Amino acid sequence: MPVRKSLLPWKIFAYSIMVLFTILAITPLLWLLTSSFKPHAEIVRNPLGLPRTWYMENFRRAWTQGSLGVYFMNSVFYSIIATSITTLFALGSGYTFAKFNYRISKFFFALYTLGLLITVHSVIVPLFVLETYTGIGNTRLGVIIPYIAFGLPFAVYLATGYLKGIPDSLEEAALIDGATYMQIFRYIIVPVATPIIATMFIYTFLSNWNEFVLVLTLTSKTAIRSLPVGINSFAGGMSRDYGLQFSALVIGTIPMILFYLIFHEYLERGFAAGISKE
Amino acid sequence: MRTTRYGLLIGMLLLLVPAVMFAGAQREEAAGQSGPEKISLSVYHYLDQTDKTTAPNFQELVDAFSKQYPEIELTFEFGYGESFHNKLQTLAMSGQLPDIILLYPGKRTAQVTSAGLVKDLRPWLQGHEDEFASMAMQPQGKNGEIWELPEDISITSIMYTNNKLLEQLGLTLPKTMDELLVQGETIRKAGLIPLAMANKDDWAMQSCFAGMIAERTCGLQWFDAALAGEASFSEPRFVRSLEIIKQLHDENMFSPGVNQLAYGQGLDDFVNERAVYLIDGGWTVNQLVGELTDSQKAYVTLESFPDITNQAGESGSTSATAGQGFGMNAKLDEKQAEAAWKWIWFYSGPEGSAIRQRHGRLPAYNLDTPKEADPMIQKLIRYAAKAPMGYVLDAVIGAEPIGVFNNNLQQMMFGNKTPQQVADELETMVDEIDRGN
Amino acid sequence: MHNRFRKRYSYWLLTAPGLVVFLLVIMFPVIYSVSLSFTEWSGYGTPKFVGMKNYIDILSDSIFLHGLRNNLLIVFISVFGQIPLGFIFAYILHRRMVGGGRFFQTMIFLPITISSVVVALLWNQIFSASGLFTAFMRIITEDPRYVIGMFEQKNLAIVPILFVLLWMHTGTYMVIYLANLQKISPSIIEAAQIDGASEGQTLRRIILPSMFPVIATTAIFAISGSLKAFDLIYAMTGGGPAHFSEVIAIYMYVNTFKYYKYGFGSAASIIIILLSVGLILILQFFTRRIERRNG
Repeated sequence: MPVRKSLLPWKIFAYSIMVLFTILAITPLLWLLTSSFKPHAEIVRNPLGLPRTWYMENFRRAWTQGSLGVYFMNSVFYSIIATSITTLFALGSGYTFAKFNYRISKFFFALYTLGLLITVHSVIVPLFVLETYTGIGNTRLGVIIPYIAFGLPFAVYLATGYLKGIPDSLEEAALIDGATYMQIFRYIIVPVATPIIATMFIYTFLSNWNEFVLVLTLTSKTAIRSLPVGINSFAGGMSRDYGLQFSALVIGTIPMILFYLIFHEYLERGFAAGISKE
Repeated sequence: MRTTRYGLLIGMLLLLVPAVMFAGAQREEAAGQSGPEKISLSVYHYLDQTDKTTAPNFQELVDAFSKQYPEIELTFEFGYGESFHNKLQTLAMSGQLPDIILLYPGKRTAQVTSAGLVKDLRPWLQGHEDEFASMAMQPQGKNGEIWELPEDISITSIMYTNNKLLEQLGLTLPKTMDELLVQGETIRKAGLIPLAMANKDDWAMQSCFAGMIAERTCGLQWFDAALAGEASFSEPRFVRSLEIIKQLHDENMFSPGVNQLAYGQGLDDFVNERAVYLIDGGWTVNQLVGELTDSQKAYVTLESFPDITNQAGESGSTSATAGQGFGMNAKLDEKQAEAAWKWIWFYSGPEGSAIRQRHGRLPAYNLDTPKEADPMIQKLIRYAAKAPMGYVLDAVIGAEPIGVFNNNLQQMMFGNKTPQQVADELETMVDEIDRGN
Repeated sequence: MHNRFRKRYSYWLLTAPGLVVFLLVIMFPVIYSVSLSFTEWSGYGTPKFVGMKNYIDILSDSIFLHGLRNNLLIVFISVFGQIPLGFIFAYILHRRMVGGGRFFQTMIFLPITISSVVVALLWNQIFSASGLFTAFMRIITEDPRYVIGMFEQKNLAIVPILFVLLWMHTGTYMVIYLANLQKISPSIIEAAQIDGASEGQTLRRIILPSMFPVIATTAIFAISGSLKAFDLIYAMTGGGPAHFSEVIAIYMYVNTFKYYKYGFGSAASIIIILLSVGLILILQFFTRRIERRNG
């Protein structure tokens, strides 16, 4: 079998690079996890070893002292609501951009592409002023709206790409049968787009979950802030407690890893569908 | 199958949305129900909620306040690190400053104080000035205004000394810098670090060392003249202070890779007895209380950097600044201002200061030394009482010149800029930005 | 007539909600930034019009230019590092060259879920001057003052960051390519191999051409992501020491939020956008040419 033989160096290369990347991905997480069970003094004196006793106090204190319970619920709330709306809006735009053949779509699509290039820091001050004037500053709505906006460019990109790949015949047949465009959207596009919906949802969810700058700036009440703000108050600065810091990071990271492990198949399936052609 | 899953998801959402929305609303309602005589004030404060000493200490203070003044209701927002300042800036620019704001006496929050967004506290303070350390009562505005009532005196440069290591190496506390340089050899040979320091976050060298050493080479009077524009930072005496930093760096006195170490890692080395001295601010005592063992606390002392040749400043001097404290929004009406002052006075006056002192801080309000405090805290109080104090550069120089200067110190240690160049650049920027205003 | 109206009405009904939110939250501030970028403003009073001064100052600032160089290196490592490596991973997994493909796939994508704060923290615990790697090297070299010299050299300080970026983002590209590889019908590949095409020939003649549009699209993401890179670098080095690992986004951030120079900072963020647009246009120019050549 000549093919096999020529594959051998490939295989060695393949295994070594895969194993290397796997180690790089897992070690930090394991280290973080074990360290979070050590009191601060033990981390300073013995950063590497396993904890001598499994010290739960870090988690208890991080949870209560940092109000992580409230933050956690808010994170779930923002991530789900904003992500759902982003997905819905992006799918609507994707449908019209892909199927309506209006020239203005090209312009809108270019605008969204431009949106991919904008950093949060360059809009934060005008955005804050805007929210203050309209009275949605320091409310949940004031967080959700920017989240939707920042999720849109990538999601629109995915949705448009995906829907362009769907044959026009389905839609045309329905039109001839007298269906309205909204009915087509609801009963044809949405079901067909399930894989890309999953991708948009998961990807947007991940980035909303980790978002920090917007929620920090746009809110001030503990009751409506989210997890990254809580975690940030544990990270670094003049005074420190590594144990608390690590346990807070674990609380923030674990849900995402679980979320990813459960849903990653959908994510991968959708990517194939979304990024096929421009 | 799929329908069931969607159904479940939608069901969960329907339950969650009102639950969370309602949770928020309930709280607001509760606030609204309070009787007419109640006064509600918002407070923006710098607090690391994980700090083992500061956070519980602050809570204790808040509890004591609300017991004494049940009619005043305070709602807090906490900021931390750099994001504290970013948010403050955004709040100020959009006219959304809270009623009570934590401010700094020097340039750090000048964008708020110099824009007339806060009230002058002197009318309320009148008659109490003598109860504070004189440093804390220095004017903060152009016309002598006091924008915030300083809570602490912040000493920024202390040479923490491990006397056990010193003894093991057959050394004694150096009287002059030359002696210290000679010690360096012995210390390094033993595999130890002479002066632990961490300057990756580039403010440390400036805040914890440059101000103190500039006080030594220049003297306080000259420094006042330089700030006023009557002397120049390009002059040899200021350049000399930078040359000392360069020399200490080049002769391997600082931690190896001093510009790669994140703030706090110098402290790690000191706590683990890998360093004989640690250069750090007085606030570090807070950490030392928790991290040093009892026996370490017995032989770790707080010292001043040794004398240099041709010293213009005072022997044993350090650098210090009046600390931050609360100020109040200029928009408050008379009744609100009265309530706000009650908090400000409670916090920085006798009651709050006593609480903070128990937890290792150095209140600006004059108090007696507590008897039961941790040995490290007692050492800090004694040190503060005896050391003459010069300026902390970032308290008297604006944000941009100091940012560039911090970076230039690193450039200088890497050999990319000479001390003279760094001094010249500082002079140009201070002249352009600070003195103009 | 009626139908055309209905179509237009539906178009706006579906497009407008997203567009309104997007324009308000992102485009409005951007336009605001553009106008601010021609002024000098510290946040209070009226902004002072200064024409092109901010742009000229930025483009002649050696710190900015070094940041730009670093950004271009990041673009380079993304386009010529993450993308090819992501493709190699995808190819290895697709052709089943390793056992346990699912497991490896999951692991390689995992870094995406870790926040940059955690990555930076870990990095610091290992490679800083008091970190594990350094401690290890001190024993080996018998030099108690050993430090990693790379971090203190102007030209090399960015290199470690490039490695971490490579590690963090390769997984995303891998997942995208893997998914698209699975869309290529296996029968085409089998047919080619029966005809005697070698592994390399199949890759070159069949797989790469059909993957080309996907690769071109991901390159756009890579470029835009590279030029606005901030979080990870800020958490790892803050652009230091002495601006050695500076990037434009950090330059913009420091000037705006630390030095309170709003006009100047706005100009810097506009430059980021212009650069990205420029690079993407160049990329599209080449993509079109290659596509035309491929027929």
